[in-house]
Amino acid sequence: MGVFAWRNLLTRPLRTVLALIGLSVPILGVMGLFSVSNGLRDLVGETLSQIEGVMVIRENVPSPVFSTLPVSLADDLRRLPGVRAVAPEVWGIAPNIEGRGMLVRGLMSKKGMGSVFDQPVISGQDIAAHMNLNSAVFPRALKEKGEGRFLTLEDIGKPNIVISRKIARDFPDRQGNPRKLGDGLRIADKNYTIVGIYETGSLLLDVVIVMDIETARSVLNFAKDSISSIYVEAKNPGEYDALSATIEKANPGVDARSMNEVKANFGSLMGQVDKLLMMTVSLALIVGIVGIINTMLMSTTERFVEFGVLRTNGWSEANILTLVTLESAFLGLLAGIVGCVLALIGTSVANQFISGGVHLGVNPSLLGMGISLSVVMGTLGGLYPAWRAARLVPMEAIRIGSH
Amino acid sequence: MIEVVNVWKSYRSGTRWVEALRGINCRIERGRFAFIVGPSGSGKSTLLYLLGALDRPSNGEILVNGQNLVTMSEAMQNLYRREQVGFIFQSFNLISNLSALENVLVPSLPRGITADQRERAVELLKQVGLEDRLDHHPYQLSGGEQQRVAIARAVVKQPLLVLADEPTGELDSKTGDEIYKILRSMQATFQTTLVVVTHDRRFITPDDLVLEIQDGQVAHPNGAISAGSSSAHGPKAEGSAGFNGEGDSPGRGVSLKAGE
Repeated sequence: MGVFAWRNLLTRPLRTVLALIGLSVPILGVMGLFSVSNGLRDLVGETLSQIEGVMVIRENVPSPVFSTLPVSLADDLRRLPGVRAVAPEVWGIAPNIEGRGMLVRGLMSKKGMGSVFDQPVISGQDIAAHMNLNSAVFPRALKEKGEGRFLTLEDIGKPNIVISRKIARDFPDRQGNPRKLGDGLRIADKNYTIVGIYETGSLLLDVVIVMDIETARSVLNFAKDSISSIYVEAKNPGEYDALSATIEKANPGVDARSMNEVKANFGSLMGQVDKLLMMTVSLALIVGIVGIINTMLMSTTERFVEFGVLRTNGWSEANILTLVTLESAFLGLLAGIVGCVLALIGTSVANQFISGGVHLGVNPSLLGMGISLSVVMGTLGGLYPAWRAARLVPMEAIRIGSH
Repeated sequence: MIEVVNVWKSYRSGTRWVEALRGINCRIERGRFAFIVGPSGSGKSTLLYLLGALDRPSNGEILVNGQNLVTMSEAMQNLYRREQVGFIFQSFNLISNLSALENVLVPSLPRGITADQRERAVELLKQVGLEDRLDHHPYQLSGGEQQRVAIARAVVKQPLLVLADEPTGELDSKTGDEIYKILRSMQATFQTTLVVVTHDRRFITPDDLVLEIQDGQVAHPNGAISAGSSSAHGPKAEGSAGFNGEGDSPGRGVSLKAGE
């Protein structure tokens, strides 16, 4: 019966193609939106996987860039049980670089306004404290994929910086070549020497310019007795969640975020985003289902005689129901495959033009979801026409169809 | 044996109700070649479809080989149509996207086709002269060839009863002759009861049973119309609707009940 149903679809190629388009476009929409969601998950997941410790910031701020904490908090944290290392940091969005402020950088960028969201950020590090860390992200990234050296005690108070390869490319020299070791980079009208270039592979991290904490205070006009955040390492890597709880309990008003917690929060946030996306695309899916119903209704109305003849040959109502539903399910399957292929092509093309570190991702599970969704839509859309065809009295079907 | 007892059938046509059959009574012995004749709209096809359990009468009883089609469940009706009745239509009604062979096998499609069934279908198509047309689709066949496929489809299940609705209505007379030869040959071979609705009395032979319907009732040979009987065992009408206006001879198998 499956072959018969398949052939019935091919018998009316134009209608089948039109129905396919009608259903594959919503599926393409679903795939497109979820590929963005997947891209964000991958980006954040990739970033978080490189960070092990606990980030302590002020409560109710989204990131270290907006946080201020007293310097004395670092000593308080050192005294807590389970703490191995404490590294204070100062964070801030880089003021003008090479004479270009944040807005200008966004407007003048060839990548358009999207680059406003991947602006360079300054991370001022307490070098001595950071050298004591086992899980510092940037030194490891420099060692693995970068060049030059990371900051050492001799860089304290000096205008030496470590930048990412991305920043080196985004702020080329006068000849248009990427910045290299030993080159200068003007930040807030002051020249800084590049001593190291790192590459984490995460575009959320590859926007950071690392410098000494005092130098950063000077660039960002940060108060002497303040810091933005503190990176804390636990003695036992398996105890980060417990350590976060201990820090928050001992220091009201601070937020100690373990990467597990960040991952969980982000996962929950993306879950909500996915629900929102699903609600949005549901409208398109409903339109797709209505299209299938319309197509199958036309198809079954034209085939009353055929159904009557099948009934005269002993086909039951269930057989007719199965036949028509199979046809619409096949239609859904085809539309799902077409939608997925279009989504693969579309995201590949889009990834060539998207900046900001988001890489649209269509993974096998998303492909499976797209095809399954399409088959379900096709099946649902075919149920009413199938029921209508199956309910025909054979004699009436032949009589109506003959006229 | 087929026994039709005081069968009424009405159906809705737009806003009004039409009484297609008004108390039909008849009996057709097993293995006979029977014709239902009468003017257009007299209820011939309605009666034929009721014999095939394609619809239920509004009133009355239809017994085929002892099975009451009126009280039969939907599932049993499906089984009856699948295994005991074959249909042949005026417009052939083959499935356009199936080959000749697949059309013959249509009754078996939902449950899967066995090698035996396929072999039998091929054999039947050979018998009707279509051995070189097995893989042809309906649009590649002439009208006569399509009807031969339809005949093969009707008899592939070795049915108790074959019902044909104007089987030569869309064919020229020469092809019509061929179709009737095949039908008679099949009927003789399989000892199947054949009931044919037709306007064309050329194909009726003296040995055939003839049931003339007029205005939803069985007409007497002299043109009188029998009223419907409420009894399945009412007095028999000795005559029947003769194929050429002559009286029916006793023992031809059709019994007409006198109307009330």
